[in-house]
Amino acid sequence: MKTILVVDDSQIMRNIVKNTFLLIKIPCSFIEADNGQDALKELEKNPVDLVLLDWNMPRLSGIDFLKQVRANSKYAKLPIIMVTSEAAKYNVIEALQSGATDYIIKPINEKKFTEKILKIDL
Amino acid sequence: MEKYITPFIVACEEVFAHFVGTKLTAERPYITQKDEEHEWVVSGIIGFSREARGAVVISMRKEPALKITEMLTGKKHSDIDEEVIDAIGEIVNIIAGNAKKGLEESFKLAISLPTIVRGLNHDITWPGDSARVIAVPFKIFEDESICLSIAMESLAGNSNV
Repeated sequence: MKTILVVDDSQIMRNIVKNTFLLIKIPCSFIEADNGQDALKELEKNPVDLVLLDWNMPRLSGIDFLKQVRANSKYAKLPIIMVTSEAAKYNVIEALQSGATDYIIKPINEKKFTEKILKIDL
Repeated sequence: MEKYITPFIVACEEVFAHFVGTKLTAERPYITQKDEEHEWVVSGIIGFSREARGAVVISMRKEPALKITEMLTGKKHSDIDEEVIDAIGEIVNIIAGNAKKGLEESFKLAISLPTIVRGLNHDITWPGDSARVIAVPFKIFEDESICLSIAMESLAGNSNV
């Protein structure tokens, strides 16, 4: 059973992300956080197999969460996929250069989402 | 002007088509006064900064707000509650983020977290004294309408949208 950390300040989006993930039929459980700060705390408390991460959030943004996590060698191999409305190329580049494993632009396309998750080989 | 407005119109139509699952029909844009009276009950606002300053606002009456939320969540709502606010905030967030892609040759932008204001004829404070507000009405659900409003001014050359 895989543990997925879903980080988004919108409850609706967290539900959409979880429901889209469930379509892939990988047995999993979810941990949720609505900001980057709480997501860091959840990560410290729980072993996690994948992070699905929004960008624009209060307290600690997704990009800052990403940079802090990648600064910790313990999480060097943790797959982190940005799931965000930030569609500009410079945002995608910044996220990938900061250590995002992949990037999904909202609104989520089910087919692209599935392809990117399956690429990770959880 | 079209160069800056079109990415917002395209993003709005695509977000409603692919995220909400409903068609929008854009009507003729017009320039509106910042303090003009309106019929909207709820607005989702996102500010822009960095190489341009401004905001994008999505405004609507209560009924389309409730129906849009129902389409996203599968649950009926009788009033504008936290989940309706979440839905409108996320919609304007995705519109703003997707519009950035269409604007990236002109500006690098940072977008704020969404703010929701509600109440009949509520006030919206627009950033920048000189930027004009362009309103784009859309038809939705056969007999309803929503409004996308945009004001932007370049911080490089102080040219307005």
